[in-house]
Amino acid sequence: MSAPSQTQCQAGLSNAAALTLAAAIMLVPANLLPVLGTETPGDNRTDTIFSGVAELWRQDLWGIAAIVFMASIVVPVLKVAGLTWLLWSAHRGVPRKPRRLTRIYAVLDFIGRWSMLDVFLVTFLSGLIQFNELSTVKPRAGILAFAAAVILTVLATRALDPRRFWREREPVSLTP
Amino acid sequence: MKGGGSAIAATIGVKRPPRQHRVQEGTPRRLGVSIQGPMHATNPNLVCRLCGQEHGEVRLAPGESALCGRCGATLERRGLFGPDATMAYALTGLIFAVPATLLPFMTAEKLGDERVGFLFTGMLYLWDHGMALVAVPVFLFGYLLPVCLLGALGALMAGARLGLRPAHARGLHQAARMAVHWSMPEVQVLAVLVALMKLGSVVDVAIGPGFWCYAAMSVFLLFAWRTFDLAPA
Repeated sequence: MSAPSQTQCQAGLSNAAALTLAAAIMLVPANLLPVLGTETPGDNRTDTIFSGVAELWRQDLWGIAAIVFMASIVVPVLKVAGLTWLLWSAHRGVPRKPRRLTRIYAVLDFIGRWSMLDVFLVTFLSGLIQFNELSTVKPRAGILAFAAAVILTVLATRALDPRRFWREREPVSLTP
Repeated sequence: MKGGGSAIAATIGVKRPPRQHRVQEGTPRRLGVSIQGPMHATNPNLVCRLCGQEHGEVRLAPGESALCGRCGATLERRGLFGPDATMAYALTGLIFAVPATLLPFMTAEKLGDERVGFLFTGMLYLWDHGMALVAVPVFLFGYLLPVCLLGALGALMAGARLGLRPAHARGLHQAARMAVHWSMPEVQVLAVLVALMKLGSVVDVAIGPGFWCYAAMSVFLLFAWRTFDLAPA
């Protein structure tokens, strides 16, 4: 596992930037379009990501609402913002605080997967809640955009190699 | 054991001295200490995955981990129970994967009408209703990749235990490293729990045994990966 060359780094940076941009664009329909439709006699409602969280909050499920809010709204936004910051720092040249950037990278890498929560949730709910005429749950187009956004952010993190923050630095001498 | 931290701090240009303790060769090591290698990097494979710093070979006692001297990431970790534990975790996880697919995850009841949800119910529903683009990643991340990862870890560890060197060991290792970023059974566990809470106020729901098996599979995958990924070669 040798350090990547300059061209490899540059290609990785462009790829990561493109994927981050695509994820940011995908987040717009993901948050605006409904992700879930619920049909019960006398009440048809569609939920976006945010109204789903608000509904949980209204049902006094505050803990669950907070978890879903974090995973579905805060994490994707944080991730796109963090990736943008890392890419900008890398683009500007030798970063002054590579250790901090590496930390941020590790955090972004860890939190990204939890955004898939809503995709798993919608899948599971629409499989389970199919009571004929009484109550049905249907996935809506927004979940497609949301899944795409999450997958794109994970791909962007994979494309960005944190070793590039350290490329211009001498290795540390680890002798006492 | 704290002495000398400032020398590293000066080299890597951080303002405060690193929190990790440096340990002399031959002294007993404590949990979570950073261990400095010998003067030259004798094990070229021990390169920090995050910052690319090369480290010398380290010798760890069970339960210890070595941290990168430059960026602080964990380089190696030696489990308390050795490599056989990894194999045991992986095989246990694989065994749990079977009932997880066959037994019900959750049952929901409304006005005498009962629905049983299995692991694949939602994915099949999405597949049948024009949402294959969502069903496929859910299947991959929530089932196929975790199971493949468990299988790969089990095969690698079992191969090493039997003294075989499988021809594809290296490729398998790399594939496992890729797969771990995309296998998310723990997220699915959380999603099912959220679904349980969300539905609780609307219909009568009960958790089924399949879900517990799936959760166990997820936990054993976590154990297996954590003891495999950073295990000293």
